[in-house]
Amino acid sequence: MSKQSGRTKIDIADVLNLPLETKSQEEAKEKKLSSFTEGRLKVYDSNINNVDIFLKLLSERVNRQLASSMVGCVHCGMCAESCHYVLARPDDPTMTPAYKADKIRRIFKRHMDWTGRIFPWWVHADIPRDDEDLNRLKNIVFGTCSACRRCTMNCPMGVDTALLIRLARGILTELGIVPEGVFNVSRDTWETGNQMAVSEEDYLETLDWMKEELQEELEIPEIDIPVDKKYCDFMYTINPREIKFDPRSIADAAKIFHFAGERWTMPSWGWDQTNFGLFSGDDRLGGFVAKNLYEAAVNLRARRIVISECGHGYRSSRWEGYNWAEYDQNIPSESVVLTLMRYIQEGRIKVDPSKNQEPVTFHDSCNVARSGDLVDEPRWILERTCSDFREMSPNRKENFCCTGGSGLLSMAEYKPLRMEVAELKAEQLKATGAKLVCTICHNCVDGLTDVIKHYELDMKVVQIIELVANALVIDP
Amino acid sequence: MPELDVGGKTYELNEEGFMQKPDEWNEEVASALAKAEEGLDELTEDHWKVINYIRGYYLEKNLAPMVRKVCKNSGFSLKHIFELFPSGPAKGACKLAGLPKPDGCV
Repeated sequence: MSKQSGRTKIDIADVLNLPLETKSQEEAKEKKLSSFTEGRLKVYDSNINNVDIFLKLLSERVNRQLASSMVGCVHCGMCAESCHYVLARPDDPTMTPAYKADKIRRIFKRHMDWTGRIFPWWVHADIPRDDEDLNRLKNIVFGTCSACRRCTMNCPMGVDTALLIRLARGILTELGIVPEGVFNVSRDTWETGNQMAVSEEDYLETLDWMKEELQEELEIPEIDIPVDKKYCDFMYTINPREIKFDPRSIADAAKIFHFAGERWTMPSWGWDQTNFGLFSGDDRLGGFVAKNLYEAAVNLRARRIVISECGHGYRSSRWEGYNWAEYDQNIPSESVVLTLMRYIQEGRIKVDPSKNQEPVTFHDSCNVARSGDLVDEPRWILERTCSDFREMSPNRKENFCCTGGSGLLSMAEYKPLRMEVAELKAEQLKATGAKLVCTICHNCVDGLTDVIKHYELDMKVVQIIELVANALVIDP
Repeated sequence: MPELDVGGKTYELNEEGFMQKPDEWNEEVASALAKAEEGLDELTEDHWKVINYIRGYYLEKNLAPMVRKVCKNSGFSLKHIFELFPSGPAKGACKLAGLPKPDGCV
């Protein structure tokens, strides 16, 4: 698959020179938000030596894994073959993962490696000179990489470029040199405990509403969406977009849990399983969000945490969050996909594949498949709930990103480049001939919807909970 | 930066088609956005009911309302909201009401 010639390409200089937007940062300062005054939310300050702080934080944060990714690259080019940015813009060397990583690597070499200190010209070692250089680095690490880790999977030396990208993002976040979209989400998360600033009142009201709708639809007055119920088999956690903009997925989940005879609850606090700390590289933010979730489960004496369909939320809550929060895991967490699979295996719910007739393909979310090892389970469910399931190619851990990963959905300024390199994804989707593309990630839902709209494909994005709810056989 | 031309005046949009300067919004802009972004040739009374509510809520609170509030106020079901605005409440209705792009995973 290669880029077709003749289409207008974006001039990469336009992306690299995008200015630092500080409107939201100024507002946060003016309003004296507690997250700002208490030092959790970082804003840009042009009067301090940001380069020095960058270098200091770099030395503090380079651990063994990062160091091996810093020194391991032999510039073999395998990463280029696996990156959708490169495959869609083959004539642009700046898209190569090794090139992007080298922008960080050269600072490491100049500052921390003896070769770079003695022969900087020989080993291409260099440090950023000023805030403009740091801003350009921001545009590279936030704007030209979706941290999908497809290059990591295909690197013979085990170099984790996405880890280097996250390191640089995290340091820039400390300096307030960060895209406005990422800043806004970090602000809302610090201030309200969830990424969309949903108040507890609104959250509870929406859950009540969904409960009433379900009771009416199914004519079952005892169907419930319990909140803060203790000693349940699991605590269900969601992505804030479900509660704010599209709670149909919550109703679908509640419906399935009811028919499975589940004892479950949602927490009134600690319900946001998403985590922008993964995207911004801010481990403190990551730890704050993850800890809210883990502590909610402990307080409710839940036996398990179930995470609704969300790629980065799954990776953060299931895998990374324990490290960020420095929290010992004693309550297991799982994706709702595993919960659904168990229901079908144990005969707790019955499903009829003939209820989902349209051809459906499956898009593996990067954070779930490559970084979360949840690959066969969604397919096991799709084969039992859909009559025409077909794989896309490549698939599983070799699948291409929806193009909206790593928080790119919240950074509108990088959308033109994202849509250009999405050509690959569009071809991949189209080749399946499917009418539906299923994904177990809310971020991928929007990423894929953008691709479908931009490339005018005749497809719709669905999630597994919707397909299972649709295939449910309800005994009279 | 993408632009939208309405009645001889040019409005700046962001890369996702949301208004760059939400204060400049008016009903003609909403109709033009509906056509350009949502493929809607005409906005019905139902559309306006939703758009006007979201607009008013935004002006008051500087925030997009929960879809719960949109449904409660308009009396429409969630299903009907998605029928009215194919891209949903965030990328459809909020965009037409001239709000900036909602923050987060949307």
